[in-house]
Amino acid sequence: MIVAASTAAGSNLLVVAVLIAGVTAGTSILFAALGETISERAGIINVGTEGCMLCGALGAYAAASATGNPWFGVLAGALAGGLLALVHAYMVLNRGANQLASGLALFFMGLGLTSLFGAPYVSKQVDTFSKVAIPGLSKIPAIGDIFFNQDPLTYLSFVTAPAVWFLLFRTRWGLMLRGAGERGEVLRAYGHSTVKVRYAAVVSGGMLAGIGGAQLALVVALAWFENMVQGRGFIAVALVIFAAWDPIKAMGGAWLFGAALALGPELQVRNAGVNQFLLDALPYVITLVVLIVLARKRLESAPEALADVFEGSRVVSSP
Amino acid sequence: MTDTDTVIDLATPETATPFIEVRGLTKRFGEVLANSDVAFDVRSGEVHALLGENGAGKSTLMKLLYGVYHADEGEILVQGEPVTISSPAVARDLGIGMVFQDLRLVPAFTVAENISIALADQGFVYRRGAVEAQISAAASEMGFDVDPGALVRHLAIGERQRVEILKVLMAGARMVILDEPTSVLAPQEVDALFAAISELRAKGLAIVIITHKLHEARAIADRVTVLRGGRIVARGIDPTTIDDRELIGHMVGREVPALPAERPAPGQSPDPVLRVAGITVGGDGGHTAVRDVHLDIAPGELVGVAGVSGNGQRELFEAVLGLRSLGGGTITIDGTPVRKADPRIAIAVGGVGIPEDPLAHSVVPGLNVLEHMVLADLGSVRKGVGIDWDRARDQLAQLDERTQLRIAASHREVASLSGGNVQRVILTRTLGDVDARLVLAAYPSRGLDIATTRRTQELLLERRASGAAVLLISEDLDELLELSDRIAVLHAGELAGIVRPGEVDRYEIGRLMLGGNE
Amino acid sequence: MTVTTTTEPAAPSAAPESPVPVREASPSRAARMARSVGRWVLAYLGALALFGLLAWLKGVNPFEMYMEMWSSTFTSRSAIGEVLLKGAPFILAALAVAVPARAGLVNIGGEGQVVMGTVGAAGAALALESRLAPWAMILVMVLAAAGAGALWAGIAAGLRLKTGINEAISTLLLNYIALDVVLFLIYDRWKDASGFGQPASRPLLSSSRLPLIFDAGRLNIGIFIAIGSALAVWAVLRYTSWGFKLKVAGGNAEAARRAGLSVGALVLSAMLVGGALAGIAGMVHFAGVEGQLRSGITFTFGYVGFLASWLARHDPLKIIGAGLLLGAISVAGDSLQIDAGLPAATVNILMALVLFAVLAAGRRTQGARS
Repeated sequence: MIVAASTAAGSNLLVVAVLIAGVTAGTSILFAALGETISERAGIINVGTEGCMLCGALGAYAAASATGNPWFGVLAGALAGGLLALVHAYMVLNRGANQLASGLALFFMGLGLTSLFGAPYVSKQVDTFSKVAIPGLSKIPAIGDIFFNQDPLTYLSFVTAPAVWFLLFRTRWGLMLRGAGERGEVLRAYGHSTVKVRYAAVVSGGMLAGIGGAQLALVVALAWFENMVQGRGFIAVALVIFAAWDPIKAMGGAWLFGAALALGPELQVRNAGVNQFLLDALPYVITLVVLIVLARKRLESAPEALADVFEGSRVVSSP
Repeated sequence: MTDTDTVIDLATPETATPFIEVRGLTKRFGEVLANSDVAFDVRSGEVHALLGENGAGKSTLMKLLYGVYHADEGEILVQGEPVTISSPAVARDLGIGMVFQDLRLVPAFTVAENISIALADQGFVYRRGAVEAQISAAASEMGFDVDPGALVRHLAIGERQRVEILKVLMAGARMVILDEPTSVLAPQEVDALFAAISELRAKGLAIVIITHKLHEARAIADRVTVLRGGRIVARGIDPTTIDDRELIGHMVGREVPALPAERPAPGQSPDPVLRVAGITVGGDGGHTAVRDVHLDIAPGELVGVAGVSGNGQRELFEAVLGLRSLGGGTITIDGTPVRKADPRIAIAVGGVGIPEDPLAHSVVPGLNVLEHMVLADLGSVRKGVGIDWDRARDQLAQLDERTQLRIAASHREVASLSGGNVQRVILTRTLGDVDARLVLAAYPSRGLDIATTRRTQELLLERRASGAAVLLISEDLDELLELSDRIAVLHAGELAGIVRPGEVDRYEIGRLMLGGNE
Repeated sequence: MTVTTTTEPAAPSAAPESPVPVREASPSRAARMARSVGRWVLAYLGALALFGLLAWLKGVNPFEMYMEMWSSTFTSRSAIGEVLLKGAPFILAALAVAVPARAGLVNIGGEGQVVMGTVGAAGAALALESRLAPWAMILVMVLAAAGAGALWAGIAAGLRLKTGINEAISTLLLNYIALDVVLFLIYDRWKDASGFGQPASRPLLSSSRLPLIFDAGRLNIGIFIAIGSALAVWAVLRYTSWGFKLKVAGGNAEAARRAGLSVGALVLSAMLVGGALAGIAGMVHFAGVEGQLRSGITFTFGYVGFLASWLARHDPLKIIGAGLLLGAISVAGDSLQIDAGLPAATVNILMALVLFAVLAAGRRTQGARS
């Protein structure tokens, strides 16, 4: 399990230290969850988000290493994640493939592609992002260290979450997108195409997952290695459910997982004597527990089109 | 037109060009003539009711006007200009709006968001405040009470309908077609809808309301046109000039040939097979769908259930079979109480059902005819942990022999069969069961040809003769009058009355169906 | 009206009925079949071509690569033995997907269930190895592994029934928790104090390992267990009323309910059986190949099993073929690493491409029927 390469220096208070590392560690999950929120709001679940994150991580690492500029890395990561998601969109929207099966194949594809093209980058050094303190805000006790002494990508995620919210709930495009995920036939009755908007949703979802992968490689791990995402993509998919398909709630959820991820190493540093591997399981256990508590309520707010996927078997509708 | 002489045409001389006029409209679906040589017009500022029984071709006609279907022959004029309505979008551009029975709304969206989908592009940003203000303004102009920020899923069905109407109007409609708008409404909601419609009429809109309910046509329409078998039989009548008997005569038309069978009298046993005692059942929307219904069926008795569709028939059917939980009251089958929503209780005591939507409720994709037969009664073909398929085949052959419904070959996948052939499979397995104590049949002859319908009716009588209690839900009053020992009439989920076919006529039943008091 | 109660002829299907099947295969049944086979062949070839292209991009001659993969996989007895060895847990893990799929469930948790199977087998061995006869030990390991796998899958089934959480999501998360359980055990409770290097549990006695089929090589009776299980699953699904009921519940849950079947019990039992099969996959690998619990013990068997099941369209007999095919691809993957210098995980691309090909080509054949 990888967490921030540098534990929060200078902060001895466990809670603050965990939160500082947690925001950093949760950012990659947040980007992926935001992307998955867009996709699922349009009625397409992408369990291959993990694969998109892997592609994003490698794309970012490779581009950053080629150009020396981590921002090109982020761009390349977004492109790589989006391209992989495009395959999913094609399979589901044009070929009528089962979403869950196609998503899992996507994960395999991402895993394989990144190990094929990633080998030269293992143990290669690149210029990455460093922390930038926001003048003034970073001086606030605790809060400043947690939120305003972070890397640029984490700041980007602060902006992206509200932006995704705005896109989904305050634009016509978002209206069409959510309509496609709820009742496509209503949109089609008024002459709108649901396929186009779903393509856009799945691909932009993959791009955001790619940025998440980029953050993981360029900020958290400062390295590329095979299968480095380690289930964060799957956590992101679950996170979307318990954030009730809401980008703002996803922020809180992602940080919670980030904190769970960061707890183990921080305790280790302090020799707390708790088994590390039980702590490593914590994010997944927390995800499950939160789902257990919230599922019934949350599933009611699920986009209708997703119910088709989740039901597994569907009652055939009359022709 | 060969039968011009049978058409009553009371249309007053035209003072102005009608908003829409159709001439010689004909539409076929394969062999079925859905609309034949239809001529009809709607004026601005009037409410025109299109009356007819189920299957008379009303919805087809309106879908031709809205561009969902395309006519095989005939022409459509809008404000005197011939037009080709090739799609709903074209219809909307011509100012024609339609409110479908299954409303075109997204339940998870607010009223404003729903309406926004139907409006022309208004830029990238969705300005909630502006859209909501626009809707409020339009709503108050129409005299509608609509909260643009409310989620549609929180609205009652009547409110949703007004949202749909508002949406149609805000998209620029000059004519509004309402397809059976009252079929899902409670009486007080009907009043609210009619008030809204009157408001629109006063604003000069052309309104078409499709219905098969006479009193509604009377209550709201300026003119009435009656369709039967795809043809116009009365055009543009002023409803105040004609009585109910005459109007129903137009709607129904034909004489009814009787079933030949001589029938034994129903059993006089003091213990009914089915005892429904004061049950209350909730519907899917959380409303009360069945309220305080009492009904006993003796062995060897066939009780029909009449009612306008959506008045609690489905919920009654499902409650008796243990598919829906009771809000109150009790149900017993042969003395066994149906205590909870568990279909196994009814099955165990010999209760079988023909569901109203066989494809959704009975058909399993991938399973063939034989497997569907086995499904109904796995216990009888058990062989260790397995299934005795040879015995199942024998049973199927017996059922087929007994019912004579000519089902498809046993290896055919049922989901791939046509609707009528699916229904044959369900009927064979249900009505061939000689041991059934209670047979519930919801619209058993839907989608069947005349011969098979007649055979189905004979089978229902055979089950009755073999001592089963039979409950028949049907939209066809003649069928009910022919087959039933008694007819229970449901209105708004309540038992409006129980009548004997020999003692009442169809008008009396119709009155009860419409909620008239006894 | 008289007897006809025709509904509004909304669609052409409301046309008068003929009792005779309307849609019988017209003259070209053979032609359609040929087209369908052609499409599948094309799909597989497309997958191979794409993979070849990717390898070529990495400077590997695709023709040589495929020759190499072929010869390293099928031309020697020991290589074929390796394919069977790898294929055995794949087949079992695929059955773990196919049984729940019959009931309409998507079990992506084969991975975690396989891992828990290894844990169950290892736990049984650690506790009882010194006290049981070898054959009894193997039997107990199978049972313990099946139980552990079933438990893991049962959690997901319970969550679906009680809280409505989709099993695809919960099983994915349980996969990661299972991996951490293994790590916890080998770093802590079950750590072999006398071991060197990577932490692992105490190795199995050689008598407790699955017996080899031939004196040479590594091929053990695991492949018999796998093929036997596939045949058993096939027979159970085909011939028992439980199998029939699963199919009904998976096809139309509402129809199943109305026919008096207990859909909840069917969902639970399907997941339990699936989990047990995955657990046995873990046992076969543990007692046949690894001999001790270590980190990364199963690679991605559960996921490969998922692919195999979809490749076989959840048909237990075809799963034998699909499992062995993926076994071959996996062995070929080793040759990729050794001969072409590509990372072993590269084969995941080929697996994904094959599944994409099947998903893309499969739909059309279905569409042609309905």
